[in-house]
Amino acid sequence: MRAMILAGLLLATPALADVPTAVTDHILPGYANFTETAAGLAMMAETTCAPDQLRPAWNAAFDAWLGIAHIRLGPVEDEGRALAIAFWPDPKGMGAKQQAAMIAGMDPMGLDPVAFRQASVAVRGLMAMERLLYPEAPLTGDYPCALMATTAADLAQTARDVQAGWEGGFADAVLTAGADGNTRFLSEVEARQALFTQLITGIEFVKESRIARPLGTFDAPRPDRAEAKASGRAGRNIVLSLTALRDYAAALDPDAVTTLAAFDRAIASAAALPDPTLAGITDPAAWLKLEILGQQVQAAQDAAVTEIGDALGVGVGFNAADGD
Amino acid sequence: MKLTLAAAFCTVALPAFAVTPAEVVETYADIAAAKYEDSLITAKALQAAVNAFVASPTDTTQQAAKDAWFAARVPYQQTEVYRFGNPIVDDWEGRVNAWPLDEGLMDYVDASYGGPTEENLLATLNVVSSPTFTLSGTDIDATVITPALIRDTLHEADGIESNVASGYHAIEFMLWGQDLNGTGPGAGARPASDYATGDACTNSNCDRRAAYLVAATDLLVADLEEMAANWAVGGPARAAVTTDPAAGLNAMLTGMGSLSYGELAGQRMRLGLLLNDPEEEHDCFSDNTHNSHFYDGLGVQNAYLGSYTRIDGTVVSGASLSDLVAAADPAVDAQLTAALAATMDALAALKAKADSGAMAYDQMLAPGNAEGEALIMGGVNGLIAQTASIERAMSVLGLTAAFEGSDSLDNQNAVFQ
Repeated sequence: MRAMILAGLLLATPALADVPTAVTDHILPGYANFTETAAGLAMMAETTCAPDQLRPAWNAAFDAWLGIAHIRLGPVEDEGRALAIAFWPDPKGMGAKQQAAMIAGMDPMGLDPVAFRQASVAVRGLMAMERLLYPEAPLTGDYPCALMATTAADLAQTARDVQAGWEGGFADAVLTAGADGNTRFLSEVEARQALFTQLITGIEFVKESRIARPLGTFDAPRPDRAEAKASGRAGRNIVLSLTALRDYAAALDPDAVTTLAAFDRAIASAAALPDPTLAGITDPAAWLKLEILGQQVQAAQDAAVTEIGDALGVGVGFNAADGD
Repeated sequence: MKLTLAAAFCTVALPAFAVTPAEVVETYADIAAAKYEDSLITAKALQAAVNAFVASPTDTTQQAAKDAWFAARVPYQQTEVYRFGNPIVDDWEGRVNAWPLDEGLMDYVDASYGGPTEENLLATLNVVSSPTFTLSGTDIDATVITPALIRDTLHEADGIESNVASGYHAIEFMLWGQDLNGTGPGAGARPASDYATGDACTNSNCDRRAAYLVAATDLLVADLEEMAANWAVGGPARAAVTTDPAAGLNAMLTGMGSLSYGELAGQRMRLGLLLNDPEEEHDCFSDNTHNSHFYDGLGVQNAYLGSYTRIDGTVVSGASLSDLVAAADPAVDAQLTAALAATMDALAALKAKADSGAMAYDQMLAPGNAEGEALIMGGVNGLIAQTASIERAMSVLGLTAAFEGSDSLDNQNAVFQ
């Protein structure tokens, strides 16, 4: 009896190439790209605070972040860095409220990138930068200009910190899971489960926050809840995050044909959305297209849970989406 | 790899252990029944105190009602570990402990609260001062405030979760009022005269305010009666975990891990710190958050150790999950037991600081308060560490957490139909 079970397990034991591939081909290059683009934004923000000049660099940094934003494990979780990079959704409007107070009071914290690291995550990162680059009314005076440079410098530093954390130890911890002395991952299974969990919760975030929140209901669509509304990036963010998740899924299990095909369908639909700002979802036809996209993302998640979960021999671990 | 083999072996060998999964889930259900019964007993005491307060609103009767509310939180918070693993609890929980809330739905608020938001057009509805109003295009008659009005019409009105009209936090707001002290000392300071009759009434509509408080408290008692019955012998919540002990074990560990990590460490503790937002505290009107977190943590620990001390001091205990895990892998049990104890030490330190009166939980959230941050992060780090051990316990028992996801995943019809 036991021999049969062991034999069954050995057959089911997955190839172990998944974890190294995901780390070296996806995660590390993803962080390097984000660090580079964030540094580019910070450098430019030292020389100008003209929104039209800074916007391309900000968009490039946002694009790069979406390539890696689904990894909510290790250094990016330390000190709340993931939220300090992109605090969204923000249903209570904390970011706008706290940033407006900072500007009105000319808070000295906003002039010093070191002090700024202690500021609320709602006034830091890409979304805070968006409010400065795409303001409802033009910002005047020296303070918002200085705050822009501080926000960009802080973002670049956070990106460096995350990259350094991975390259300076966390990647090794993942790659040596189960080795003597590795207290973070006591087995290869633990590392595999941790990486797999990022895939599933990453898809969940696209589905719930980027799609379902603005979708609302047929009778009451909520386009105001679209991500990055001021810059009109909502549709682009869906495309780029799904593309990154597909890439990550392929790194974990290149043979996951059902999952990858499901991603391809969702990405094609996302790219074909009639209005990339999602403002047009008040139109029933546009609303239905977004709803169908939501179903396709759900299908990709369902496929990944069974197909990749089985291939890796793990289930989804505890994660931030377990809460309310 | 090693763990996978061990898990398969253990699954086969489970019946040979000193305790059986069936015995363990029996203890789990017995403790649930005791906790919900204690919650009901203390809620009835709160109901009596609220009735006495509105009959004769003085500082003394108001304080007695507040004290009864504090006491009611002790057993209830220990039940939260049942929430995420048991759908029957999770589906019900929003009625009794929904948070955070846009309290302007219920009663008057300070000007600093702001008006209706893009997210919530009803954020300042103020039903206490509005006998009739329009809700999503429908005319509502709220001339008589009843439990049914709160449950069926006001709670989560317009599909917005922050429209909290019922439960502990609604009652908390009606007793304390808004805490306008930010990250400074002090809790909500609603005067007892908000419930006075005639000319003594402050902030108007005292009779409607009293009706609201009484109705919300009556509703809490009714909701807890329902859940206590669900866990009593023959109840469906008990049956769900005892008819399939493996599923019951899964519910136990899923509840422990989800509460520890996503909910408590993440949403309720670290987020408030990262935002320096004094409203991001669970019991924000009463400044009771330190107790709320402490008893949540205690609930996780006693679910694992299979022993709960009731409000009358008697102990309900039996075959425990700890026994089961220890039989499968003593090292994993020792690690998890130690991790749970370390978390309780950290939460006890946080509680002691707040109880001393030196620093309330919202003051700990202030920017630059290194001591407060360290106290909160001590709890957060303990909860994160114990979650890793909970996953190991699941692995050693051959269990995999069902992917919880969010509401709309569980109920896809709500979003994608």
